[in-house]
Amino acid sequence: MRQLRIDLSKCDAGRATCQHECESSCAEKVFKLTDPAMAALHVRELADGSGQAVLCDQCGDCVVVCPTEALKRNKLGVVVIDKKVCVGCYMCMGFCEKEIFERNPEWTEPYKCISCGICVKACPHAALEIVDVPEPAYRIL
Amino acid sequence: MTQFVFDPTKVMDIDFTKRTEYLEGLEAIKAAHKVLKEITFTPSLPDKGYNNRSLYVNVGTLEVKEKPVTQQMKDVFIGGRGFGLWHLWNAVKPTTRWNDPENEIIISPGPVAGITQYAGTGKSLVVSLSPQTDIPIDSNVGGYFGPLLKFSGFDALEIQGKSECDVIVFIDGQKGIIRIEEAPQDPVDSHVLAEVLTHMYAENQADMVNISVVCTGAAAEHSLVGMLNFSWWDLRRGCIRLKQAGRGGIGTVFRNKKIRAIVCRGPQVKGDLNHVADFETIAKTGIKYHKEIRTNDPYQCMMRRNGTAHIVEIMDAYDLLPTHNFQYGSHPDTHKIDSAYWQSRCTQKTVDGCWYGCSMACAKGADGLVVKTGPYKGHTVTVDGPEYENAAGLGSNCGVFDPDYLLELNFYCDTYGICTITYGTLCAFVMECYQRGILNKERTGGLDMTWGNAEDDLEMMHQMARGEGFGVIAGQGVKKMKELFIKNGWGDPQLINDIGMENKGLEYSQYLSKESLAQQGGYALTNKGPQHDEAWLIFMDMVNKQLPTFEAKAEALYYFPLFRTWFGLNGFCKLPWNDVVPSNNAQQPEAHKIPEHVQNYVDIFSATTGIKIDKDELIHQSAKVYNFQRVFNIRMGKGLRKDDHAPFRSLGPVTSEEYLSRQERYDKQIAEEMKLDPTAMTLEEKMAAHRSWRQGRYEQLTDAVYKRRGWTPNGVPTLERLKELGLDVFPEVVDVVKLHL
Amino acid sequence: MIQVNGDGMEWQDGLTVRGVLVYRNFRFPLLIITVNGELIQPKAYDTTLVPDEAEVQVIHLMSGG
Repeated sequence: MRQLRIDLSKCDAGRATCQHECESSCAEKVFKLTDPAMAALHVRELADGSGQAVLCDQCGDCVVVCPTEALKRNKLGVVVIDKKVCVGCYMCMGFCEKEIFERNPEWTEPYKCISCGICVKACPHAALEIVDVPEPAYRIL
Repeated sequence: MTQFVFDPTKVMDIDFTKRTEYLEGLEAIKAAHKVLKEITFTPSLPDKGYNNRSLYVNVGTLEVKEKPVTQQMKDVFIGGRGFGLWHLWNAVKPTTRWNDPENEIIISPGPVAGITQYAGTGKSLVVSLSPQTDIPIDSNVGGYFGPLLKFSGFDALEIQGKSECDVIVFIDGQKGIIRIEEAPQDPVDSHVLAEVLTHMYAENQADMVNISVVCTGAAAEHSLVGMLNFSWWDLRRGCIRLKQAGRGGIGTVFRNKKIRAIVCRGPQVKGDLNHVADFETIAKTGIKYHKEIRTNDPYQCMMRRNGTAHIVEIMDAYDLLPTHNFQYGSHPDTHKIDSAYWQSRCTQKTVDGCWYGCSMACAKGADGLVVKTGPYKGHTVTVDGPEYENAAGLGSNCGVFDPDYLLELNFYCDTYGICTITYGTLCAFVMECYQRGILNKERTGGLDMTWGNAEDDLEMMHQMARGEGFGVIAGQGVKKMKELFIKNGWGDPQLINDIGMENKGLEYSQYLSKESLAQQGGYALTNKGPQHDEAWLIFMDMVNKQLPTFEAKAEALYYFPLFRTWFGLNGFCKLPWNDVVPSNNAQQPEAHKIPEHVQNYVDIFSATTGIKIDKDELIHQSAKVYNFQRVFNIRMGKGLRKDDHAPFRSLGPVTSEEYLSRQERYDKQIAEEMKLDPTAMTLEEKMAAHRSWRQGRYEQLTDAVYKRRGWTPNGVPTLERLKELGLDVFPEVVDVVKLHL
Repeated sequence: MIQVNGDGMEWQDGLTVRGVLVYRNFRFPLLIITVNGELIQPKAYDTTLVPDEAEVQVIHLMSGG
């Protein structure tokens, strides 16, 4: 399955020159939103100067709890949400330990990273990459 | 005390997609349907939780009309059970009984019902005059019907009249059509009927989730204890699931009206069909709650793994698990039906939850049961549950500790349309009567009703469904069986009355209340009868000793019944309130009320309706409906102090066996509480002392509770109390009360 | 001797909160426990010693269908 990964040693995370290109490209190009805070990934600078990233690793926990099967793995193993059948219950948001889901006041359906790689291309530090890894086993939640 | 940990390797490997199918005759069944009446309507979606109209259907005259939901209805009755009681009040006279055409069945979901972001928000409240109690009964049920009805455009469905042929009422909220169809060839039992009708009325596979069926089964036609099933489509299993409006015989009323089913086809559910006033607050509250379930439930009640069955072994440990007709509170075989077993037997690798967004997801299912007896012998079925009440009522209370038989009893109760709680208690009564010679094989028509004889237990249930033999007598319920056994001279009337666990005509639910005076009141000082949904105070009272005085117990019996009534006004489930708690709950003032969750409810109501309330207003809202229901009972000839008496089995030890089994406890109470010397007393004297002490305390409790509720010593709400609640605007309500002041 | 929810219980050296729960067969998972008025967190049940003469409150939250 396609998984987005970050190398925090390369990521600038706002510490020097970073313009958060990953977030703005995700928000604009993937979700047509102007606010980078609405992106489906986040990189932050911590108080000690190190970086922190909030990325979906496509673990599939949200697929397990979704009552409508709106969340499913596609052919590439990426977990995608079908807005047509989503009922906006937000169980995915509550059960995601990495808290990667986003929502905004315009839509009742939440959204998430689809491992599309637009942020990878946008990152000037080459900190992000898409890798192919095996799907994790089903977890009973 | 060790916290039981979930072990996925112990879950039985059962294919949850496999079961017997019943679709073969679907086309012929459908072709036999004949449209008796069809009208069109304009579907609508609620605004701030209300459509402001309800639907009236008379299956006798075929009249179908819309009725306005007035501002006064919303102000006084809120919705759900409140709307049900109001419609029923207007439909019946004091002389009306359950089988009169004017009796109604009202289904109303409440303003909050149908939001998808918080756990336990899909409930419907069903109200009718009960065949068992002759007063209003209300039942809180899951499944998709209530929300789908609301999203079709109606805040309540009122069904009145009696049909001459079997009919189906179909409400199509997508196309705006209401049809009454004659249904001459439809299956009778729920697990078949709900499956057939879901496939019949869904236009394609994706439409299945938009269908919910209300139906009952064969036993509802031959007994007074019939229940209603509310279906929902289980996507992953690919089958219908059933939730039950169990108590009080509403299924019997349903079949008496010759209704085969009510089917609603709603629009596709989305996140804000209620068009709430403040979506953001509901979203945030819901996500916070889902996280609480994710982090705390695995270390607290494990509702997601066990459902309510998690308390089977706990009740046994505290001597509260009803055993052999509420004689005892524990049994050595309880481990065979404890939560560790159900956790391995219920399917875990799927999503349960009887409405969207229920992260508590207690609606467990046991798949792959191969039925051993009756008309479905050899079929592979999915059983909903078992819930705690079923495990205790059908299990320990009747001495059945074989889990497969317990599941089969549960399955047949559901599909035949029998309330599992009622059946458990009435069967336990039959078995004790058999044990004590009040019944014998001759009187039961050959049934050997010894403790734990599941085969004859099942045969009695099959008789109930066929309308044959002793099953018909049992299906009249404990109250009428008591009357019959006494009339026939089959036993000592006092013993029969003492051990028959009913009050107001309704059977007790499955907790032993002998050592908790507050719970004795929680059962019998109720509106509809002894059901634990008003107040469950055993731990507070008996274990924690937090309610040392009559006044403290009365305060709990004021607050909790009102707090819990509120769930039924709004379409909430009670379980998410207290079957998980926030991590910091212990540090909160009044931790036993779970203040953060109470605030969640206040916030969700305000955010849905736009009407700002606080936790005191919440109680005030309930008090209006609760007192209205009390007056309704009085109007129907009950609802007075005499109707709140409790059978002695619920108060203390009836028999010498019971006394001797807990002799140390009872002797100690004689010495410490009654200040008598047990060593100088015979067993009979000790039992008599307990009877008089316990009955005296129950009367004192009744006095204290009535006083706290603003009622006279005869249990009648005073005019001052009615004024305080604004119920004096209804002259008929005042008139009922005036007759008793 | 200690008091547990108002009932007397023999004290012994090394008695922990867990020991009280086991002795009383308090198996319910939703408990609020105080020892002499001090709140004890669940993770400390095994390690918190109960002194002689202590007043222990084991508040069971509500349950029941």
